[in-house]
Amino acid sequence: MDTQEVLFVAFGGVAVLGALYAVATRSLLRAIVALGAFLTAIAGEFYLLAADFIAVVQIFVYVGGIVVLMLFALMLSASGKRHPLAAVDRPALGAVLAYAVGAGLLWATWSTELPAAGPDPADALGSLGRALLGAQLWPFELIGLILLASVIAALSIVRGERQ
Amino acid sequence: MMTTAALTLSAVLFAIGVFGVLTRRNAISLLVSVEIVMNAATINLVAFSRIHEPEAMTGQVFALLGIGIAACEAAVGLALILAVYRRFGSTDVDTIDLLRG
Amino acid sequence: MSLPWTFALGLLLGAVAFTMVGALTAVLVLAERKVSARIQMRVGPMHTGPHGMLQTIADMVKLVMKEDVRPARADAVAFRLGPLLVAVPAILSLAVVPFGAPLVMRDLNVGVLYFLAVPGVTVVGLLLAGWASYDNYSFLGGLRSSAQFISYEIPRSLAVVTVVMLAGSLSTVDVVEAQGRVPYVLLLPLSFFIYAITSLAEVNRVPFDIPEAESELVAGYHTEYSGFRWALFFLAEYAGLFAASAFGAVLFLGGGSGPLLPPVVWLLLKTGALVFVSMWIRFTLPRFRADQLMRLAWRVFLPLALVNLVVAALVMRAVA
Repeated sequence: MDTQEVLFVAFGGVAVLGALYAVATRSLLRAIVALGAFLTAIAGEFYLLAADFIAVVQIFVYVGGIVVLMLFALMLSASGKRHPLAAVDRPALGAVLAYAVGAGLLWATWSTELPAAGPDPADALGSLGRALLGAQLWPFELIGLILLASVIAALSIVRGERQ
Repeated sequence: MMTTAALTLSAVLFAIGVFGVLTRRNAISLLVSVEIVMNAATINLVAFSRIHEPEAMTGQVFALLGIGIAACEAAVGLALILAVYRRFGSTDVDTIDLLRG
Repeated sequence: MSLPWTFALGLLLGAVAFTMVGALTAVLVLAERKVSARIQMRVGPMHTGPHGMLQTIADMVKLVMKEDVRPARADAVAFRLGPLLVAVPAILSLAVVPFGAPLVMRDLNVGVLYFLAVPGVTVVGLLLAGWASYDNYSFLGGLRSSAQFISYEIPRSLAVVTVVMLAGSLSTVDVVEAQGRVPYVLLLPLSFFIYAITSLAEVNRVPFDIPEAESELVAGYHTEYSGFRWALFFLAEYAGLFAASAFGAVLFLGGGSGPLLPPVVWLLLKTGALVFVSMWIRFTLPRFRADQLMRLAWRVFLPLALVNLVVAALVMRAVA
């Protein structure tokens, strides 16, 4: 087992533990912090999968943005509770369905012959840039519009109540 | 080898996220679980990007756009949660049932 | 190198980095006290050691020996995690600064973006520290500080994008090489201006230190912290200041290049100059009010940064 594989397993372990804690704990604050740890571990995984740009964007957007958003929402809706609590409803049914989905996915993964990974492109960042502005130009421009629309939507939803 | 490991991790995380989505009652915890599911899918995308035509980087472009969409969804979702909280006084999804659907 | 030795080396380097940043903070704090003293027509600490050189060491010893107080109703995990999440990213961001061209901890392909992204994690720490302290002033300070940070993140990133456009690479080593004889401050003066001011705001330095303003919020998000945990916040501020100045030197002043002296010395000189200027500003200007601060970010710096980006792109296209 070389360094890359050990790191992959280590990050994967942190991710799984973080996710488990985030879905099971009763304290919302700790769930969000666990999500933060989960997202950082996933960023590490991205880096190991030769997607260093995606890894840094993950930290930038997810940990530096979405986790912060969730903390703000938590603090603005806690109504004085020090430890906002979130119950877990019908865990048995959820566990069965989740197990079925997971088992199905794992079976699909392990029963197919995956081709070997191709060589990583020499100039990964350049290839990504060329792809974004070349073959994938339409999705790239559209996501700009979607981001604008969602900013306007979020602002108007939150402001609407005040008037 | 790494690809299979990545896909396995993705499957496990997806299952955990699904468990969260199905069992949580608080709206913000639901969002947390949804984010877990989306990240699991993104790992899949990035893992597959290395297999078919690594030069085109389609999987990574998809992953980037997916992260952008997730940010939009989180922003609008949390705005909605706050608006609902102001209206109903609670963030429990089982109490928001005016439409009786 | 075999696996266990790699990890041991990694841990050792981490410990070394942390110690060096600690030593750095000690030097910077002393420098700040001396600079402030001279600007205010006095001499500063003179008692401990020759000319007060050992003052910060004495302060650190005192802080480490203090009792670890935690408010009884504070959430234990969040209270402990807050300072860590503020201090660690500030130190981690130093990993991509090239101290002289080959002397960089890790020349990431996306080094510049890494430097912008990692301090974003600080916001989570600020919110946790403010919330967990279970104290009105801390909470307000934490919210204000986070709002300030995320508001100034955007113009700062936009200013850095112009540099990346000119250099053609996201790697810090490449940016230094691309500058050659002409530092980017001459080619992109507005970007430098935007970067400098927004970085001051990011590091919570005066005139942007409303979250720590003693007259307003006691001590903002770190009101309830004492001893070593407070020292971590302190460390984060000065490490952040050093990192932002070093990064400014790398992006705009050609960090490391210069005749005669070795690159490390040049980079430290340029960084020191920027740090000195920031201390100078601190002891000269009054601080901004919270709403003035936010208005400045969204109504002045964001449009300015956007216009700067477009103009820079057009000029580069026209010249090329």
